[in-house]
Amino acid sequence: MKDFWKLFIRFFQVALRRNMAYRGSFLAGIVGQWIGYGATFLSLYILAASFDRLGGWNGAEVMVLYGLSLMSYAIGASFFFNFSTGLTRRIRSGEFDASLTKPIPPFLHEVFSAGYNVGYISHFSVSLVIIVLSLRSLAYTVTVQSVLLLLLMVLGASLIQAAALIASSTMGFFTVGNNPIADVLLWDVKEFTNFPITIFPKGIQFVLTFILPFAFLNFYPAAALLGKAIPEGYPAPLPYFSPLAGALAFVLSLLLWNWGLKHYKSTGS
Amino acid sequence: MRKYWIVWKKSLKSETIYRAAALSGILSAALSFLIQVFLWKSLLGTGIRQDASFSDMLLYVLINSFMLELTRTNVASIIENAMIDGTISMELLRPISYKGYMLAQTLGKNSYGALTATLPVLLLSLFFLSGASPPDLPHALLFILSALLGVLLMFEVTYLAGLLAFWLQRCWFISFYLRGFRTIFGGTTVPIWFYPSLLKALSYCLPFRYMTFEPINLFLMKTPLTEAWVPLLAASLWLAGLCFLDRIVWRAATRRLTVNGG
Repeated sequence: MKDFWKLFIRFFQVALRRNMAYRGSFLAGIVGQWIGYGATFLSLYILAASFDRLGGWNGAEVMVLYGLSLMSYAIGASFFFNFSTGLTRRIRSGEFDASLTKPIPPFLHEVFSAGYNVGYISHFSVSLVIIVLSLRSLAYTVTVQSVLLLLLMVLGASLIQAAALIASSTMGFFTVGNNPIADVLLWDVKEFTNFPITIFPKGIQFVLTFILPFAFLNFYPAAALLGKAIPEGYPAPLPYFSPLAGALAFVLSLLLWNWGLKHYKSTGS
Repeated sequence: MRKYWIVWKKSLKSETIYRAAALSGILSAALSFLIQVFLWKSLLGTGIRQDASFSDMLLYVLINSFMLELTRTNVASIIENAMIDGTISMELLRPISYKGYMLAQTLGKNSYGALTATLPVLLLSLFFLSGASPPDLPHALLFILSALLGVLLMFEVTYLAGLLAFWLQRCWFISFYLRGFRTIFGGTTVPIWFYPSLLKALSYCLPFRYMTFEPINLFLMKTPLTEAWVPLLAASLWLAGLCFLDRIVWRAATRRLTVNGG
């Protein structure tokens, strides 16, 4: 375990140095992300504020909702984005085969060598500011329990984001090319979570809860934190199971990846 | 003109090869349209807010996404890559204006996507668009003119910002800025009708609202005929001014360019 962290830190340093090679671009990129995601926050806020409520949620509550989604994405993707989007290319070029010969599991070597993506500091910072400001304006009571609950929810959501990235990369073992359909399933379906799922019909709520469990990214965590109503007929403690759902999704995605690896045939290049 | 027509046709043809991409484009367009349907259904229901009804909003979303899809390009990245691998020197040798070439390529590439993605969504939306009526003839003509200006203006802004690639080492972030500004000041996500007054006032000082928002206002007949000249004139002035500016920038850029091998 000590070796694990030593390795992780070493790989982290290399990634940081790689990102900082173009310092000006790196900073300009962070500001650009602030503007881009700031625009999304602003649009959602205008919607919720000018219509008073959005699916029963007010402006600040919707900010928490989207903030959780962005923050968990920042955490999950900073570890797994490079890995997930680079895997197909590495399989095609044959670089991936090197990971099979290393003394650590191929999955770990792939994640480590793809590198930690430092750029997600921009997503993280903007979502942190928005979440803190919104919770303050909602007069959220800060206690040890409530902060712990918040941290647990963010952790669970980050695991779901990570699971989505890992699962989508698994397709690379079979198609050896990009798989736009899998991308749609993962990215466009995630767009549903920008809004409280209470605005959608029952069927979509069911899919987002039990089949592609993106509602556990932010809807149920935010509902637990803010005490919002969940869809009718769903068990009341469901929101508190969000961290568990995250852990489950993560483990399933790892199993899926390793199953994909077993069916992997090198391109021989 | 024929040269650009050929570029348009070739770019269109090269897109038709990727069947899976087209299919996922349709799926993705349908999903995001569905989200908008439920969003506006829950916000507007059968009521009216700021003079906008549910079917107005669906038309808004459709026209908006069609125009955005048609002009989707990342000139900065194209120039960046062409500079890194040295093909930029080939591009500059062609007996064709680089800007015109970019425009023809962008429209060619995107026509396919815009049509394959929008047509199914349009058919899907017929189920939801019961109360909508098409604009009268003068409004329809003014809409076409204004949408044309809007498409050109969107391309122009992307192109002008893309030219910055000649000065920057890396420029993947330029598109983030553009998208952010377009969302905030152009009303591409939330119509400017619903904006607070400060933001509304600011949008008049920038070109973004003339890209899709003003054309849609004409289509929905929210701009009376007697006032239609205002957005049309503003869009034309922005377009002319930015075209003038991009010539200066282009001249400076090509003078500065050094091609390292290739």
